[in-house]
Amino acid sequence: MAAIPATARPPAATRRPMSRRSKQLLMAAPMVLLLVTFLVYPSAQLFLLSFQRGDGFSLENYQRLLGTPVYLTVMMLTLKISVVTTIFAVIAGYPVAYLISILPRATKGRILFWILLSFWTSFLVRAFAWIILLGRNGVVNQLLQTLGITDAPVALMYNFPAVVIGMVHALLPLAVLTMLSVMENIDRNLTRAASTLGAKPGMAFWKVYFPLSFPGVTSGALMVFVTAIGFFIFPALLGGRRETMITQIIIEQIIQTMNWGFAAAVAVLLLVVVLLVFVIYDRAVGLSTVTGEARATARRRGKGIFSQVGDAILTGLGHGSDAIIGLFPRRRQAREGAPRPLTAFVVALLAVMTLPVLLMIPLSFADSGLNWPPQGFTLRWYEQIFNSPIWMSALTRSLVVGLCTATLALLIGTPVAFLMVRGRMRGKTALLAFTLMPVVMPNMILSVGLFYLYARIGLVGTNLGLIIGHTVIAVPYVVLTVMSVLRNYDSRLDLAAQSLGATPWVTLRLVTLPIIGAGMISAFLFAFTISFDELTIALFTSGGVSATLPKQLWDEVSLSISPLLAAVSTCLFLFVTVLIVLAGLLNRRQK
Amino acid sequence: MTRPIMPGIKRRTLLLGAAAGLAAPAIWRPSGARAQTSRIVVRDDGGIYTQAYTEVFYRPFTEATGIQIVPAQAQAEPTAQIRSMVETRTYTWDMGKISVPAVLQLTSGDTKYLEPVGLEAEDVIQSIPQQYRNDYQVGTNVYTTVLAYRRDAFGGREAPASWADLMNPEQFPGRRALRRHPYDTLEQALMADGVAPGDVYPLDIDRAFSVLDRVQPATDIWWTSGAQAEQLLISGEVDLISTWVSRAQSAQAAGAPVEIVWNQNIWGCDGWSILAGTPNADACRELIKFASDPARMAQLVEFFPAGIVQPAAFEQIPEDVARSCPTYPENIATGLQIDAAYWLEQADPVIERFNTWFIG
Repeated sequence: MAAIPATARPPAATRRPMSRRSKQLLMAAPMVLLLVTFLVYPSAQLFLLSFQRGDGFSLENYQRLLGTPVYLTVMMLTLKISVVTTIFAVIAGYPVAYLISILPRATKGRILFWILLSFWTSFLVRAFAWIILLGRNGVVNQLLQTLGITDAPVALMYNFPAVVIGMVHALLPLAVLTMLSVMENIDRNLTRAASTLGAKPGMAFWKVYFPLSFPGVTSGALMVFVTAIGFFIFPALLGGRRETMITQIIIEQIIQTMNWGFAAAVAVLLLVVVLLVFVIYDRAVGLSTVTGEARATARRRGKGIFSQVGDAILTGLGHGSDAIIGLFPRRRQAREGAPRPLTAFVVALLAVMTLPVLLMIPLSFADSGLNWPPQGFTLRWYEQIFNSPIWMSALTRSLVVGLCTATLALLIGTPVAFLMVRGRMRGKTALLAFTLMPVVMPNMILSVGLFYLYARIGLVGTNLGLIIGHTVIAVPYVVLTVMSVLRNYDSRLDLAAQSLGATPWVTLRLVTLPIIGAGMISAFLFAFTISFDELTIALFTSGGVSATLPKQLWDEVSLSISPLLAAVSTCLFLFVTVLIVLAGLLNRRQK
Repeated sequence: MTRPIMPGIKRRTLLLGAAAGLAAPAIWRPSGARAQTSRIVVRDDGGIYTQAYTEVFYRPFTEATGIQIVPAQAQAEPTAQIRSMVETRTYTWDMGKISVPAVLQLTSGDTKYLEPVGLEAEDVIQSIPQQYRNDYQVGTNVYTTVLAYRRDAFGGREAPASWADLMNPEQFPGRRALRRHPYDTLEQALMADGVAPGDVYPLDIDRAFSVLDRVQPATDIWWTSGAQAEQLLISGEVDLISTWVSRAQSAQAAGAPVEIVWNQNIWGCDGWSILAGTPNADACRELIKFASDPARMAQLVEFFPAGIVQPAAFEQIPEDVARSCPTYPENIATGLQIDAAYWLEQADPVIERFNTWFIG
């Protein structure tokens, strides 16, 4: 409770628990209120439908769900795709996050830029970019044939690897940013101390650095997993017969057959599975990674079977990597900065990540057809965008909604994160599960629920309605990001500041916030990007009179595929570039 | 399919309605006051539709009557939205262009979520063939599913000309794509197996799946969205595909060497419907009459090869353009109309069976 300590005079000992509880309530209240009103209430109304047949209570939907093998099969396929995606995203993301965390400020900004760049490209555009890259006559196949590696086109798409590639690509930035927010706060002197005490680099990494970064790994994995499990664009566009995900079934039930009851039942299945995953995660990894407090108890236990096994594995890894490092000739002694192989790996990875975005630039000048190689040269797609008030107003609206959403989500989510990490209270796990509900809930269900609610309170087609809806789905990301930062933040710094006479507000402003600032910024960016790329809520609740950028893109695609898509993507690319360069310049001026 | 979508809301609406009734006698205003309409919100499909309808229907209508039209777009089948608006009496839209299955969904139960159009007596409506309209809807656009193929893949050999050819990989080898959905696909399978268009409904499901069993190993891609189907044609990823004609035409417009086979096309109709209870129903009826004028409909082809429902409109459309319209007499004559009532009843079990079969 050091973050926002008791104000004014120290309260009497007898009153303390009372005041603490009311403060905790106050910190959680805005988020709980938001989620209850705009998530629980509307979706509860829809979920009631899953128990309804005719006028009475019925389990018919569930009998069908569990009695027909296809739904459980699809659920298993969904889990398989999500788990594989999570593993790859975390493994690939870890070195990137690590590198960024040890780089000097200027270089750090540059790499973050490339990460954010692909994060800012709409899912829809990215999916089509992969189609152009991996298709039978796509870029990769053309390259392979030109180089004489293959004679005929190879099947790169409509299979499991293609879906995983698309999804890892889509979720890698999420993994990197989550892990980064933890790594930024790891004291590098600890690794140095280990080296001084004789640990070789591999051992120092696995036994000292890695355990410290582990909360980032697990919370990154959790975020990637729960996001992946709700995906539908990538399996639909890049997958084959066995790459069907459960959200596709939900959407099919809603859009094609309009069978809400059954759609709701399928959504309940998805929720149950996710909750189950939470329980398993809790048992296996321990809550240690989710609430900092539990980690302390885990450490105190110390001799638990999991920690013993884990310790043995880490020691093994340490020996192993030292052995591998030993195979290479010794280079110049202890160069400060990033090891070269790591840099090479990260640069290669970033190149692959950026490829789909860069691909859109030449395509945007093509005469017609979104196809490789681009045919002809024209500026007419750009003219079309800039001469169209529809595109300009969509862009403005997306920016306004995104900025408001990010601000609101940060204001609502940060106190909850403080509460979760610092507060001593029961029911933290429950609060966390509650916080994560919007991530787990299929956006389709949320959107329709919101539409029903908005129709009654007159929020359909308003910016406010969009902002509220987007804040609901962005808040969990903010809470998790800020939490993972706080978990590694030494709260004794606050106590020190206060013992030196700083008021709680001054402590927060001059000590806490500057230290967790990087994490707050990435939380803000998360929230902004989620809103900026959000389609489902916009489809349902914008009522059509006013569109956001993703919805305008969707309308465009639902009509025809043209290089206009690439032109919009390129404009966004330039826009983000300018924004980030400006931010960098401002940053430099400040110093 | 007759159950109310959200019983909870209905009860609530009743209470709200009762409260409002006590509090606001203005609600019982006579219908004469409704003539005061100054603005109606019309749902359409967005994109080129909004563009074309604004030029051809909405703006001229505003000039003629002074009533503003606000075009609105939403999810493909907005039945949930319409139910919610009618139940809560909050009319975000007054009328919309929706599909026949949506109309059936909204009117087959005890509660009618759409207003009877009631324009049958009007000449401009009577000249629209009966197959394009019903009590709750006046047709305005026909969409259709066709077989499309890449000319370059069939250079120097016989090109496919029917669903039977699409489903015959031995005689017509090539990469092929089908829609990953039983709608249209089962109809195609049956016609491929020799079922006459008139006998397709009710579908012989077992027979259709046995055809799909045969063709499945040779089917490279099962598409899920129109954009994807179009991209498959443009990039040459597939040689032959069953898809919506608008997508094949977009691929043609993008320069792809694509040929369209109209034979055995499978069509359905979208039309104007009015939300039950909207205070602006009369203005909506005026717009429907206005938009049904053959001369005005003919102007739509300046924007896209529209599925024009007024036969008289073709007198004003150049022959080469008219041939691309789904309702061009020769095209519609060889077509099969989707049986929306059949699908309304059978969608659930058939989709389930399709999904089970699909995952294999």
